[in-house]
Amino acid sequence: MIPHAFAEGWLLLRQRGAVSLVLALVLAVPISLAGMGLTIRHWLAPMVGLSSQSSTVVVLLHPRLDERQRQRWIADESAAHPGWSISEVSNEDLVTRLGRWFPYLDELVAGGDASLPPMIEIVTADPESVAVLEGRSEVLAVGPRSSIPQAVSRVSGHLAWAMGLLSAVLLAGAVLLAAVWVHLELFRHADEITIMRLVGATERTIRGPFLVAVATPAAVAAALSVVGTITATAGLSRLTQDLGLSPITVPPMVLMMQAAAGLVLPVVAAMITLARHATDELEG
Amino acid sequence: MIRLRGVTKEYDRRKILRNLDLQVDAGEFVFLTGPSGAGKTTLLRLLYAVERPTDGEVWVAGRRVDELSRTRLPLLRRKIGVIFQDFKLLKRKTVLENITFVLRIHGIAPRESQRRALQVLKRLGLHHRQSALPDSLSGGEQQRVAIARALAYQPRLILADEPTGNLDADLASELLSLLCDINYQGATVLVATHDHAILESIPARTLVLHQGRVHYDGMWPP
Repeated sequence: MIPHAFAEGWLLLRQRGAVSLVLALVLAVPISLAGMGLTIRHWLAPMVGLSSQSSTVVVLLHPRLDERQRQRWIADESAAHPGWSISEVSNEDLVTRLGRWFPYLDELVAGGDASLPPMIEIVTADPESVAVLEGRSEVLAVGPRSSIPQAVSRVSGHLAWAMGLLSAVLLAGAVLLAAVWVHLELFRHADEITIMRLVGATERTIRGPFLVAVATPAAVAAALSVVGTITATAGLSRLTQDLGLSPITVPPMVLMMQAAAGLVLPVVAAMITLARHATDELEG
Repeated sequence: MIRLRGVTKEYDRRKILRNLDLQVDAGEFVFLTGPSGAGKTTLLRLLYAVERPTDGEVWVAGRRVDELSRTRLPLLRRKIGVIFQDFKLLKRKTVLENITFVLRIHGIAPRESQRRALQVLKRLGLHHRQSALPDSLSGGEQQRVAIARALAYQPRLILADEPTGNLDADLASELLSLLCDINYQGATVLVATHDHAILESIPARTLVLHQGRVHYDGMWPP
């Protein structure tokens, strides 16, 4: 039956050579884009991982607190939040920092360090958790909780999620396209299939040529999608390097997934469509 | 070879066959006749399991056809040679390929398939049209290709639905003698026809269907 499937499948392909080629190209595009999406997702992974790095949140305490009260407050908060590492910034250090950050405040800073509120730094992996200090009577102000790595991580995370979703949608589109194509081919050959059944052809005999006719453009689509992803990624990588970012490389796993998706998904879609067609025929 | 027990077939609540009981033994030659709409074609369709009865049992070659699973149907159909009223030829294939295709389905090797197909085409006077596509043939030639396809794999049962409908008198008589030869070799033949001239040309058991029932069962003319 296998030589029969190949011989008949080849006939189908020859009759619809141009359409098969267009199908291969149309299938290759979403699979290639899905591969790109997964590659970018992979490239973003280290940036998404930045969120696990610790950030420092600055907190200004009320100047009313004396040294003893401050130390007790720090000890209490350290005990209440084991993930926090609280350190006090000395007044001298604070003056130096203010002088560096805000040179135009020199006069104010020169007025005496006693007028400056005491400042502490909280190092934590979860800077948002420092928000609990807002509104406390001991706390004058809580500094920005979001650091650049956190922001980069958040944006990268959203982008990676979107890329994953886009890839899934594109792959689903490729499957749908293959299924519609097989469905139309079955419709075109409906009479022949009916005759084949009437003269005693098994479902395997009937399906074989169609599967060959789908698997061939699917294999071409898989190859084209791999080439497309490698080429497009190389171009994108040059762009990211020009921007000072790390180069983008296609993970071998993505290429293997593309090859498998290009070949397997249309064939599975074809098998499902053919099986449904057989059931419909019997019920009809 | 064929046994129907209490077979009823309805379409949209209209009874085409009514509680039909029938038996055809192996090796018999039987004509099935009756006016249009009597249920001849429906009866044949039940036998090669394109239709299932609304009620009753249909047995062919020792198997209950109306309960056969989809995977078993091809095995049954390979035992039956059907000559369809509308030929049912594969339009993309040549005359020769139409026949070899069926032989290949039956597991016959390509070379042997070719030899057998050419043999049967020669017998039906069509060997010179072996490379033609069905659409380029006349109605009579298409009919003969359909007959050649049904005979090529030497089935145990031949069902023919108006096989002489598109043939002139000479070809019709030639076809009938061919069917008689095959019957002589042991195959059971059931021919549905409304052509009385054919019925009279061969002394054979004749079943007359009328309003879905067997109205007459015996030699023709009564």
